[in-house]
Amino acid sequence: MSALAECLVAFVFGSVVGLLVQRSRFCNTAALRDAMLFKTFRNTKALLVAMMILTIGFTAFISIGAGNPMRFDVGVNQILGLFLFGTGMVLAGACTVSTWVKAGEGNFGAIWALIFTFVGMFLFSLIWSYIYWPPAPSAMTGELSVERLQFGFSNAETLQEKTGIPAIFFGIIQAAVLYGLYRAIKRREAASAATT
Amino acid sequence: MELFRKTLDPVIALSAIAVLDIFLFLIVGAWTVGGGETMMTGLIAQFFLGDTIDRIPFWHEVFKPDAGYWKIYISLGMLFGAIVGAVASKEFFWRFPKRLSEWVMITVGGLLMGIGIRLAFVCNVSTFFGLTPELNLGGYLAISGILAGAWFGSLIYKRVLEGG
Repeated sequence: MSALAECLVAFVFGSVVGLLVQRSRFCNTAALRDAMLFKTFRNTKALLVAMMILTIGFTAFISIGAGNPMRFDVGVNQILGLFLFGTGMVLAGACTVSTWVKAGEGNFGAIWALIFTFVGMFLFSLIWSYIYWPPAPSAMTGELSVERLQFGFSNAETLQEKTGIPAIFFGIIQAAVLYGLYRAIKRREAASAATT
Repeated sequence: MELFRKTLDPVIALSAIAVLDIFLFLIVGAWTVGGGETMMTGLIAQFFLGDTIDRIPFWHEVFKPDAGYWKIYISLGMLFGAIVGAVASKEFFWRFPKRLSEWVMITVGGLLMGIGIRLAFVCNVSTFFGLTPELNLGGYLAISGILAGAWFGSLIYKRVLEGG
């Protein structure tokens, strides 16, 4: 596929996502923050359902060698980076999706958050240029590296290769765990509705 | 049109997005936002700094600025789709944070999001809508980080709310 066609597909996908997120008021920040602070789960349930569908879909296609899974080494930087990100998104009141969507609704706070996300990325590019960590894609090995705090690369594809069991099998297990969480939330909501 | 009069159930919206994301996964790769935002940062930096950007190793070893990078257009599409949705449902209007504490939280929050995405190589979207459904180890590490971060952020948020 040409680069132009890829960009076009991405734009169409993004447009539909932007429209659906705007109309549904879905927010990833709220999915985590509201569950923790206010014990409300409107967005959390939607997130879990999407993850169930995606897990089955992705692992089914990976089982037959189709799709484009992400391939890069993972490590301690994922935990540290997403810790900073998680703190930041609650403070900013928006995640990567809702900053764009709220910006499209005329929310200047979201535009401000987006500007400073770019500033943060640029600042990190300066830091990276001194410490050279986490490893650049060209320096990734796919293997465990204790001194670089990297665990290598592992996903449904590698699980399938190493065990000989189709990736969809592991996908069904993960989807069942996500469904268990979804059911627990539904039960909690039903119990709470019954007492009020 | 009904879609622009009533709020859509997020379970329905996210289910539709998940199905589309599977198609995107087959064509180019799963939904992500952080990569496109990084490329936009590089392009903006290149616009302001010119050739000076070549002296910053990150911008040629990790992300070489390229306007033809498909992930940029997911974000631009989301902005476009949101504008269409907001205008069609008469929900577009300019809103500004009112209190100084809000401006400070948004500024610090934005900075932490930007630094966090680049440190992790992933954002929340690729964590929940890409890596974890692909059973990628990085997805589980990222989820543990984002849950701890959201909890910590919630403590600060609650304190500011109670204080304000």
